[in-house]
Order: sequence, then C-alpha cells, then structure tokens
Amino acid sequence: MRAQFLSSRFRSRLALAAFLLVAWAVPALGQGTESLLDSQRRQIANVERMVDTLDKQVDDQSTDDAKLVEVRVELERLARAIFDASLAFRPRLSEINTRLEQLGAARGEGEPAEPDEVSRERTRLLDEKASFNVLIGEAERLSVRISGVIDEIAQLRRDLFTRTLSRRYDISAALNTNVAGEFAAEMTRIYRVVSSWVSFTVQYRLKPLLLATFLALVAALCLLVGGRRLFGDFMKPDPTQEAPTYLGRLSVALFSTLIPSASFAMLLASAYYFLDYFRLLRTDIAPLLFALFSVVVLVFFVYRLAYSILAPRMANWRLLPVHSQAARRLVALAGLTAALTGFDYFMNSVYELFGSPLSLTVATSLLGTMGVGLLILLIGNVKPFSDEEGQAKPWPTKFRYLLFAIGFAIIVSAILGYIGFARFLSQQVVVTGAILATMYIGVLTAGAVASEGAFAKSWLARRLERYSPFDETTLDQLGLVTGMVINVMVVLIGLPLILLQWGFRWADLTAWGYRIAGQIQIGSLSFSIIGILTGILVFVLGYFFTRWFQAWLDGSVMSRSRMDSGVRNSIRTGVGYVGLVIAALIGVSAAGINLSNLALVAGALSLGIGFGLQNIVSNFVSGLILLAERPFKAGDWIVAGGVSGTVRKISVRATEIETFQRQTVILPNSELINAAVGNWTHKNKLGRMELPVGVAYGSDVRRVHQILMEIATGHPLVLKNPEPFVLFAGFGESSLDFEIRVYLSDILTQLSVQNDIRFAIVDAFAAEGIEIPFPQRDLHVRTVVNQPVQVPQEATSSESEAADDPAAATKRRRRRKLDPE
Amino acid sequence: MKPMKNILTTAAALLLSGGMAMAASAVNRDSEPRTLVVTEGGSQSELVIGSGETVEFCSTGCFVTMPNGDREVLTGSETIEISGGRGRVQ
Repeated sequence: MRAQFLSSRFRSRLALAAFLLVAWAVPALGQGTESLLDSQRRQIANVERMVDTLDKQVDDQSTDDAKLVEVRVELERLARAIFDASLAFRPRLSEINTRLEQLGAARGEGEPAEPDEVSRERTRLLDEKASFNVLIGEAERLSVRISGVIDEIAQLRRDLFTRTLSRRYDISAALNTNVAGEFAAEMTRIYRVVSSWVSFTVQYRLKPLLLATFLALVAALCLLVGGRRLFGDFMKPDPTQEAPTYLGRLSVALFSTLIPSASFAMLLASAYYFLDYFRLLRTDIAPLLFALFSVVVLVFFVYRLAYSILAPRMANWRLLPVHSQAARRLVALAGLTAALTGFDYFMNSVYELFGSPLSLTVATSLLGTMGVGLLILLIGNVKPFSDEEGQAKPWPTKFRYLLFAIGFAIIVSAILGYIGFARFLSQQVVVTGAILATMYIGVLTAGAVASEGAFAKSWLARRLERYSPFDETTLDQLGLVTGMVINVMVVLIGLPLILLQWGFRWADLTAWGYRIAGQIQIGSLSFSIIGILTGILVFVLGYFFTRWFQAWLDGSVMSRSRMDSGVRNSIRTGVGYVGLVIAALIGVSAAGINLSNLALVAGALSLGIGFGLQNIVSNFVSGLILLAERPFKAGDWIVAGGVSGTVRKISVRATEIETFQRQTVILPNSELINAAVGNWTHKNKLGRMELPVGVAYGSDVRRVHQILMEIATGHPLVLKNPEPFVLFAGFGESSLDFEIRVYLSDILTQLSVQNDIRFAIVDAFAAEGIEIPFPQRDLHVRTVVNQPVQVPQEATSSESEAADDPAAATKRRRRRKLDPE
Repeated sequence: MKPMKNILTTAAALLLSGGMAMAASAVNRDSEPRTLVVTEGGSQSELVIGSGETVEFCSTGCFVTMPNGDREVLTGSETIEISGGRGRVQ
C-alpha cells in the first residue's frame, strides 16, 4: 500500500514538474494569445484533475495521519501553481486594457458611426478579455476548493488524533493464551523476512552492501572526529579535576550527549540512505529498518543524556547532587524506560507492516506501557538526595507526585483498555522528557555563560584571548551575547522538536512560521515581526557599513589628500551622521513601516518637541552648523564664554574643549553659535605676542630700544615679516615701560619664545648695566618735637626694624636716591 | 567583534531566506465608493473602498474582481489604482 502510494505520489510530482515546465516555457516562447489561453486552460484543467485525485486520496486515507499531511503539502503546492497559472495572464490583460483605452468607448446613438475596423478590434479585444476572465474565475473556484480540502484535512487530522487517544480496546481478548503463540509465529515471520533479505543481499549484492556500510561509517566518523576536535575539551570529563566549574560541567553534559548521539544518528541515517541509494532495501525491509534505527537512536540518546547528567562514576562532574548509588540506579531506570518505549514502538510498526492480529498489538502495548508506568513509579520512588544527617531523601514532593501521577495514569489507562492514550503518554514522557532535559541544560548553560566572568574563564574565551585582541571586558560582553544566542537556539531547535513529537507536522510548523512572519494587524496598524527584525538588522548592517566607510574614507582617502585634521574630523563626523540617518530610514522602510504614517505622529510630536526639547534641538542644529561652517575645528585653540582651550571633539549637541590645565569643558553648541568665539588658530596659527618690560628711570632708552630690537629679531621663531616692533609704551610709576611685539608663525610656541626673550633681556641688561626696577613706595618719617613717633599699625615689622637699625636705613635711603621723583 | 559579525551575517541570511510578506494595497481615485471582491484562502469577501481611500489587503496572494468585472490575481505586493471602475495593477 505504501509502495503504491509512493509511486502514485511520484507520478503526480512528475506531472506537476512537467506542467510547471510548460507554464514556464509557454510564455517564454512568445506564442500567440490563442495558445496562451489554451495552455493556461490546459494547466488549470490539469490542476483540477490532480485536485480530484488528491481529494479522493483524502477520502481513502482518512485514517493515516502522515499521508494526510503529504496530501496537504501537495495541495498547497497546487494552490501556488494555480496562482502562477492565472498570473500569466496579467501582461496580456494590461495590454488589452491599454489598447481598449486607446480605442475609446463605443459611440452611442446619434453620434457618427466609427470605422468598422475599430469596432471589430474592440469586439475582438473584449472577447479575449472575457475568456481570460472566465479562466481566472475558474482558477479562483479551484483555489477555493483547494482551501476547502486543506481545511477538511485539518479537521480529519484533529479527529484522528482524538480517536487514537480515546479509542478503547478490549484487553481481555488480548490476554488469552493464544497471544503467546501468535507472538512466536510473528517473530518467526520477521526472522524469515530478515534472514531472506540478509542472505540475498550477502549473496548477490555484497559489494554495494559493503560500500554502503563503509560510506555510512565514514560519514559518522567525520562527525565524531570533527566534533571531538572542536569540542574535545568539553566532551570528556577530566576525572582528575577536583572541582570543575558549573559551566564546565554543563557544557560537558551537553556536548557529551549531543556529539555522540549526533554521530550515532548520522551513522544510522547515512546507512539507511546509502542502502536505499544502492537499492538494497526491499519494500518490506525499509520501514522495518527505519523504525529500528529511530528507536535505537532514541534509546541511545536518552541513555547518554541520563549518563552525562548523573555521571554515576564521577561524583564531581554530576549536574544533580544525587549520591552515586542513586545515580547508577536512575541511569539504569531511564535507559530501561527508553528501551521499553522504543520496543513497544518498534513492535507496533512491525505488526502494522505484517498486518498482524490486533490482539497482538494490544497485548504488546499493554505490557510495554504498563512496564513504562512501573518504571516511572520506580524512578519516583528512588531517594536520590541526602539530608544533613546523611539520610536518603526522596525527590522534591511536587516532582515525586508528578512522576507518580504519570506512572499511575499510564498503568490505569492501559488496564482500562485506553492503549492509545497510554502509549502516547509513555512516549511523550520519554521523548518530550529527554528533549526538555536537553533544553533545560541548554538554558542553564546560557545562564552560566552569561553570568559575569564565567565566559572569560572558559576554554573558548582563553583560546579567543590568545588569537584576538579581546580584553576581558569584551569577552564578558561576548559571553552575554553568547548566552542570548544559546537561549534563542535552544528555543528555535527544541520547540519544533517537541511540537513534532506532539503530532504536529513539519508543514504545520512552517505554515505557522510564515503566519508569524506575516502581517499582524492591530487596528489600522499592521506590522510583521520578521519585518521589524529585518529592519533592525538592516539598521545594524547600515551602522557597521557606515563605520567601515568612515574608517576607509578617513584612513585611505583623506589621509592622502593632505587635509588638515580638523576638516577630516568634520567630514568624518558628518559622514557618520548622514550614514546613521540613512541606515535608520532604510531600516524603518525595511521594517515595512510606512513613513507617511509616521508623518502624523511627527506632526503631533513636533509641537511638544518645539517646547520641551527646544534647547536640545537648538544645540543639535548648532552642531550641524558648526560642522558645516567650521568656525573652528578639532585641535583649534579657542576662547569662548570665559573658557580657553583646545577643541577636542565637536559632537552634535555639545563641543568638548580641553583647557590648558587639562580640564574638559563641555560647551553646548548653541553657545558657540550665538556668542562670539575667539579662535587663535582659525585660518593659520600666526599670532602676535606682547612682552612688556620696564627699565629704570635714567637708563639710556635708545640703547634699551636697540637691545630689545636685537633680541627680538635675533630669535629664530620670530617672524621677519611682519617684523618685530619695540614700543616705548609709556612712563610708568617706577619704570620706563617698553613692549616687545613679535609675530610668531605658531602662536602655540609663545611660551618658549617668551622664556627665551626674557632670559636674553636679563642677560643683555646685566651686561649693559641697565636696571629693571620694581615698584617702590617712599616712606617719609616726620619727627615732630615733643610728640612721640607714631608708628602706624600697618607698617611692617621690617620697616620698624629699619628704623631701629641705622645701617639698613641708610642703605635703603641710598637706593631710594636712585629713583628720581 | 568578528564572531558577532559572523552571527549577524548568518542571522541576516536566515532572515532573508525566510522571505518577507507584504500586503497589496488598493487606492480608489473615483469620486464614489468602489467594491472589490477578494478571494483569499478559500473565503470570499467584499471590500468597499471609499473615495480617495487606500486600503491594504491580501497578504498572501488572492484573486480580485474589479468593479468593472475584470479579474486579477495578486501575489501580495502590488498596488491597484481604481479609476473609472477600472483597476490598474502596478
């Protein structure tokens, strides 16, 4: 029956392929309209025939879930085909419509008659269009019908599932003595079939058999060796390690389950594939082998999982803190449960294949499910933990009762004859339990990786650290990202697996996926999750592209064009903002959000923004002006609002200025635009520096002028043009004031130039005997007879000392004489 | 950064391969309301579009009957402009 179905499916696929080929080829050949109409008509009729066949299949196979799903997939493909077939009319239809418009409407009564050709052509076009419309209507009807059949299939499958679970078998018939005899007879049959296949294959097809086995082994070895090389450190628990980290234990548990299981599954899958490829599988052997292989893989996986979680031989690598004896027992029980469920499943497929009596199926399933129920009760009864006094402690109460409830439910439903339900339950316990356990380990691993500092200590991070310039903080952040990615992967892989277990089919899941990815309507607002994710992704890509473009422009293009760093910085920043805005716009439109919808929101918000964010907006606009107009650039020495310093960075809101004391001042851009800004290094760095110096009254001022001029012109950093100027600035209180004014090519060097000139002045004045005076104040001491000397309180002690000490007083007076008053 | 970039590229490839679903839109340029008959996924419905209105419909592909009786198939990304009862697909 299966073979028959396969071949019929194959035929229908062939027909579909041929018809798709025709669909593609016919318009491409550019034949006349007549043939377009004919070919589409033929296609639609073809599809209709196929739908008829499939519809009949649905009625015939209404008890076989897998076949119903296959029919559904086929129907969905047909629905798309019928769609494409009607789509082929569109170019011709629009051609006809344009032509009809050019011809204009038919003239009515009383108007001059139009030429015969015109009305003929109009009639011809209208006829053609009408026949197109008829065909498209046909296609529409067909697509509605296909949808109806698909709905029917969904309903049938729902009923089927309920029926399987709620069907009650008569177990008394299954428990008579004949069953043992029937079982033995069935076993003999299986043995005969298998042995005849083996002997035939070994005798006549030995070479392909060996080749298939060899290829399967190679494929499995590739996965195993590759997995060991990649995750070798994770896979094997190191018995010498006293206290492995939590993350280490988790990853060992995960990978020592997944890698060997995947390799083993690969071995069997490729063995099956190659046996099939070399046509070694007979139609009776193939399903048998398939069931056997899937059961073996499942049992192997469950056993490995239990073994790696409980690690009965290595207490310090155990994920659950159970004691060793309980660990051993639990691993054995879990393995047995899986094996028994697998056995039941396998025997069931065997009976189905050989058309065995129902009593045999019922008996096997009854025993199998009751065994599973008992094993689950036993697992619930294990006392794996120990309390403070070392006494054995049972599972947590809730978990224990859950296990008991499941075990009893399986046994009771089996005894009552609800074999389907008992089988479903026991299979779910094993398979869903195993998947959930794996997912849970995955989630725990993600949490452990994301926890602070854990990733940086792991083996992968150490390797990364060796080969890349990542520091510990980056690695930690990478750990966070990795944790999130692991979580997403766990859900993306685990959830479909569980749903597949629960009777959903792959086609259902993909259909859901498309529905989720599609439009979600909330009121008049519609969006799609995939669209939003795509938008975010496009934005991130655009952002990275902008960064890369910025770096390229700055590093490769502008650095060669001898631009100064300020301009480069402006262009860089500008390009960065433009890129960001473009990326955001593209992201928004990729997310499927209509920008015109945003206009309303923007309009409402702009009022609020106008008031509330006035400052920010004004700073923002000022920032853009600063970048465009460039009154100063990064590296300039500016004076603005009492702040003097070097511009470090012009951002969009504020500008960073570093004063010469290395204090960073953040100046809002609007202040730089609205107020006067002094820039010492705007177009060039040329600047004038003044240096006042005073000489004592009585000095030779012309000589002083000459000396100062020589010193100024003699300095190498002082510009010759504009030439230095020495100003006789005035007659000060205690000195004749001069001022040296020199121009420097770089105003930033003024401090060292000042130093040099001052040293030179002191040296030159000392050599010439010219004195630089300091401000002095004369103190007149008047002595009035008969009155004691009143020393004012403000007078310093030195002055009173001077009064006491005649020698010092004379010295002072003598010096004072030098000052002409 | 490199592993992150790799992850991003993979995600991008996955997402783009998933394809994007869009809706078709119809705009009525006539002065009176127009009715489209839309058959999508086995159900037929009438879509009344007021004068000057734009509506979005048909996200997965559908059959449409225009006000003047012309039939069209939409894949779900087109824009229909209705003027004088005639629908023009763009």
